Amino acid sequence: MTDPTLPATTQAAPTGRDQRLAEVFVALADTLVDDYDVVDLLDRLTTACVDLLGVTAAGLLLNDQKGHLTVVATSSERTRLLEMFQLQNDEGPCLDCFRSGTAVTVEDLRLETARWPRFVPAAVAAGFLSVVAVPLRLRDQVIGGLNLFVDDDADLRLVDQRLAQALADMATIGILHRRSAHRSDLMAEQLQHALNSRVVIEQAKGVIAERNALSMEDAFDALRTLARGRNEKLTEVAIAIVEGRLDVAPLVEH
Amino acid sequence: MDEGPGWDAALVAASSSRSGAPLAIARLCVEHLGLTGAGISIISQTGVRAIVCASDAVSEQLETLQFTLGVGPCVDATRQRSPVMMSDLMHPEGEPISRWPTLVESVSASGAEALFAFPLCIGAIAIGALDLYRSTPGGLSSEDLSRALEAADAVTLCLLRAGDGGPFGTAEGLDSNHFAQVHQATGMIQVQLGMPTEDAFLLLRARAFASGRPVIDIARDVVERRLRFSEEDR
Repeated sequence: MTDPTLPATTQAAPTGRDQRLAEVFVALADTLVDDYDVVDLLDRLTTACVDLLGVTAAGLLLNDQKGHLTVVATSSERTRLLEMFQLQNDEGPCLDCFRSGTAVTVEDLRLETARWPRFVPAAVAAGFLSVVAVPLRLRDQVIGGLNLFVDDDADLRLVDQRLAQALADMATIGILHRRSAHRSDLMAEQLQHALNSRVVIEQAKGVIAERNALSMEDAFDALRTLARGRNEKLTEVAIAIVEGRLDVAPLVEH
Repeated sequence: MDEGPGWDAALVAASSSRSGAPLAIARLCVEHLGLTGAGISIISQTGVRAIVCASDAVSEQLETLQFTLGVGPCVDATRQRSPVMMSDLMHPEGEPISRWPTLVESVSASGAEALFAFPLCIGAIAIGALDLYRSTPGGLSSEDLSRALEAADAVTLCLLRAGDGGPFGTAEGLDSNHFAQVHQATGMIQVQLGMPTEDAFLLLRARAFASGRPVIDIARDVVERRLRFSEEDR
């Protein structure tokens, strides 16, 4: 918060966080007007959540339209974290948020063991104390949820929920990008496209990790660097790698 | 998201039909999703390679047209790895229709008013499409969409399996595919054995079946480098 005793000129100058906020939104808006890769965009969004909201980890889950929620982007590739997100296929704040279409906030997860008997131990074991889940919503349709986790060093009350919802809305726009066409047909096409792209990227990470003896997290970084260097879409590059049209050994200098 | 009674069991039964699982699944879709016909084609990046089956004469005509013309919703669905949904062919709102004027004309003349093409794909693996049509316009309900997607998954597994005659069942379905590690392990195995992605995917599932463990457990062992596949595992 700005100090009222400071001169007006100092107050008008953007704070570090405001500056970051502006930069992130400009970058995301730039992405949205171009021909962008949906997984790449969602990946940047989850990173932006950690950056801007002061949370420890962020993950995006989408309705796969077959009765499950599937993880499509996370701020970190840590296995334990991924599995905690994926557990919400069965129970957890993200699933509750998806079903109700409203945000779910829990300050102390340890008090919610009865509500989510499997999710809470996994989240606590991964080092998290609090959680916020906000819906990805277009009019009356909920297509998924944005999950934010906070460990005991951070304070959930400082997380700006309006900003969290704005980032979730950007994700929705990014996934259902041809909004002007109100055909419900398009929602299925675009959701399935995003979900399958995520699978392609996991396959490509496996290929890169094995070829270069890398962790999955480093394999993903290598894939992103490669796609950005070639100025090509992440998913297209991933397909070329999985199909063996693009050689990835050795991608990284050891 | 509730499955109606009978669908799950019927899909498992159709998937293990000895007399032709793809056709049995296509017919199941017609019966349970209020459709008129369904067809399945094997498609490569260059066009339709083979028509697997069709539940009626119009479906057959639809698949043949796309085979001959080399274009159409099933070709696009496979190439884009996402469904192509046209719930009202006579009053198109979107751009897909204009991509195949000849096709749409013939299809409409044959009596189809709604057409939905679902890719048979798992990530980069894309082998063809399941085409569903109805003689009346209208979108798929969310329950029908969910069933169509499950049917497409079942057909994908059947067609992948057809090559190697693997004995493992569909009981686990593709549920384990929700876990990233299954796909990461597939990519790793394909490098370990220098084999196509679909073979690596099948090998992973076959190993799970043979050892009586869930696919996700085997996948974790591969990703965490406790398990490597070697020539003897082929």
